Amino acid sequence: MREHESVRELLALAVAGALSVEEQRRLEDHASACEQCSRELESWRAVAVALRRMPTPAAPPEMVERTRARVFGELAAAAQRRWDDAVLAFLSLFAWVVGLTAWAIVRVLGSGLTALFDVQFTQTLTWMSASSVLAWLTAGVVVVLVGHRRRVAWRSL
Amino acid sequence: MEWERPMAVEDEAVKLRRRDPETLVALVGRYQHRLYRYLLRLVHDSAAAEDLFQQTWLRVVQNIRRYDPRRSFEAWLFSVAHNLAMDHLRRRQPESLDEPAASREEVAAADPDALERLLARERAGLLEAAVAELPAVYREALTLRFEEDMKLEEMAEVIHAPLSTVKSRLRRALEGLRCKLETELGGGK
Repeated sequence: MREHESVRELLALAVAGALSVEEQRRLEDHASACEQCSRELESWRAVAVALRRMPTPAAPPEMVERTRARVFGELAAAAQRRWDDAVLAFLSLFAWVVGLTAWAIVRVLGSGLTALFDVQFTQTLTWMSASSVLAWLTAGVVVVLVGHRRRVAWRSL
Repeated sequence: MEWERPMAVEDEAVKLRRRDPETLVALVGRYQHRLYRYLLRLVHDSAAAEDLFQQTWLRVVQNIRRYDPRRSFEAWLFSVAHNLAMDHLRRRQPESLDEPAASREEVAAADPDALERLLARERAGLLEAAVAELPAVYREALTLRFEEDMKLEEMAEVIHAPLSTVKSRLRRALEGLRCKLETELGGGK
């Protein structure tokens, strides 16, 4: 009797294909000798068959098209963001290169070629400090702008 | 735990990682009905299901680099949809993940023929209505197992739960469904 009750609890899971090999064997052994469990198993199977045959709601074609369009838009926006990031990185690098080159040109034009190698410590320190502050400020502004744009893009989804 | 999976889909997912538009069109087309059905069964609202459908694919495109091509793309896709649908249900009504959430239309027809037609349609939709009255987590278990034909391991991945939870939800869902069907059939004449 205990086996009967124990097997009955397996019937629902049996039709869901969720029994272990051992549980399945126990159920089959018992059901072959127990008419009540056999009948109940059949009714569970009918429920499972009906579930599999439930009508499938078709996805509206307009919805699929709208989804594709929206996702394409996202792909394009992502590509644009990558391009923008590359441009910003290039511009930052370009600013550094121009700054350093300008420093060299100004020194060469002002005091001749030898002045380029006659670097005075105090002047260099002042120049480097100013350049660093400018570069960090520029980088900070870029980071804030890029972050803000990404947050706006994310919220608009 | 590993399970068999069609390689073609995973190959397409790898192409999607490279943001290939044609692959995206193919995947959206391949899963359109199944994903929509899953979402509709969960949220019971075609407008919400459509919104979630779009959000799911947007999230897929945004997070595709997090997808591991060695695993099932299908399970990953449905787990993305699961997360969005559950968030939606929590926002809509906090208790709707535990409580049956359905309101059947009131029948108010004086014409006998119309009433007959209505009853016939009711019988045909009895199972769907009974499923719809189950709590969301049970509806989800039934649709993933019987309509999507997912393996238990895939279901566990979709709902982020251990196998034991998947089995217990399936059992309770089936028992709840049968109980509702017997009540309807017994008293619905």
